[in-house]
Amino acid sequence: MSEAPEHATFEQALARLDEVVARLESGDVGLEEAVRLFEQGQALVATCRERLARAQQRIEELTGQGTAGGGADGEAPF
Amino acid sequence: MKTVGARHVWAVQEITAALGRRLEGIPSVWVEAEIQNLRQRGGQVYFTLRDTHQIDGSMRVVLFDRLEHRPTDGSLVYAYGRVEFWAERAQISMRIERMEPAGEGAILAQIEATKARLAQEGLLSDARKRALPLVPRRIGLVTSAVGAARKDVLNNLWSRFPADVVLADVPVQGPAAPHAIVRALALLNGIPEIDVIIVARGGGPLEDLMAFNDERVCRAIAASRAPVVSAVGHEKDVTVCDLVADRRVSTPTAAAEAVVADKTVLDTQLDDAARGLVRGLRRVRESNAALLGHRTLGLVAGLRASEQRATAQVVAAESRLGPAVRRVADAAALSLPVGRDRLERATAGRHQAAVQRIAANAALLDVLSPSRTVARGYAIVRDPATRRPVVSVGDMQAGADLELELRDGRADVTVKEMHP
Repeated sequence: MSEAPEHATFEQALARLDEVVARLESGDVGLEEAVRLFEQGQALVATCRERLARAQQRIEELTGQGTAGGGADGEAPF
Repeated sequence: MKTVGARHVWAVQEITAALGRRLEGIPSVWVEAEIQNLRQRGGQVYFTLRDTHQIDGSMRVVLFDRLEHRPTDGSLVYAYGRVEFWAERAQISMRIERMEPAGEGAILAQIEATKARLAQEGLLSDARKRALPLVPRRIGLVTSAVGAARKDVLNNLWSRFPADVVLADVPVQGPAAPHAIVRALALLNGIPEIDVIIVARGGGPLEDLMAFNDERVCRAIAASRAPVVSAVGHEKDVTVCDLVADRRVSTPTAAAEAVVADKTVLDTQLDDAARGLVRGLRRVRESNAALLGHRTLGLVAGLRASEQRATAQVVAAESRLGPAVRRVADAAALSLPVGRDRLERATAGRHQAAVQRIAANAALLDVLSPSRTVARGYAIVRDPATRRPVVSVGDMQAGADLELELRDGRADVTVKEMHP
């Protein structure tokens, strides 16, 4: 029931979102609680969408013996 | 041997005995051969040992049953035994005492040994297998940069989701492969954003897949921070890598499906959730409104109840009041004779005044009455049928009967002519 932290994985955010929607749709909450859930749900939707939008279809190649060490060089669209 | 005429003639058994003596000198040897026509009869297992040539072989059932890797038809084996000669039929066979897999069989045996060690440590257990992320931030891909697997994985990945990929280029076969793969796994695990790693290689003969049966590679996969998907070979090729990985897919193509969800499905799911939020909030608002409605009704009911209570109190008060009023009335009755004289005097006075006022009013009425007007010489003209006054010549017709009312009587007249 805790707020979704910033570093939550996509599925954590999605699971929490499902929980919020289910809770809200049950109609079994007070109006203030409902508004709070609604806002929380909206934030989760935004987080998920943002996470999806972040993927850029990029490929980075660790060539040779991998000395690139995770740097951004060698990045190229497929 | 005997001499018949000019010939030396041998008995068959002399020949077989001579052959037997020569063969006895051959010590026990290892032979590499394929096993064929394997069958059991009595206490012996019989088979054919062959390459391009062939020789019959046999092994005691008790020894055969204890073999760690029992061969089947087609198995390549190293067999250890000695050549036996059956003199009666001049037949040669090998009596085998030990047998081990050879060639691919040897490789398989090695794989089995690795598998057994890892299994004993629990590294192949399903309980160790981790769930793969739905949407990995980045995907590590361990494969050859020039292999077909790379293209298969990326194409299928990107047809589902525009994922970010970090490719670790490694040789996927040959003696350098295991070390390179282990190193690649370490490098990719060092990149925090990598949420899943795919180890991929296309299909091939067993020898070519050996890097993925290498114990070091398998242990690196087991120790990987990020969950590992093994996409090595085709459906029929199962490597130890496949067993130790968090997920095994039969081909590099299938790896994509395991690693990312379909973006359109996710988008739909989010749209549904967003709609659900709005719907939910609306429902709560409505149910709260309904609740408010109930409360209003409750309020009304409460009011009505308190009103009824108040009425009842009034009634009760009245019933208590009744006797009190009567008591007051009784008290008044006692004092009535005293009041009567005063009352009568007052009444007589008022009567007098009323008579005077009536007379004054009648005089006033008299002035305003039509009879007084008629007395001054005017006449009232009436329609005899309706008895209504006729006030305009427009309401008359020539020859019509009219009635005139004068001070002392009436006269019936006929209209001769009108002059409007």
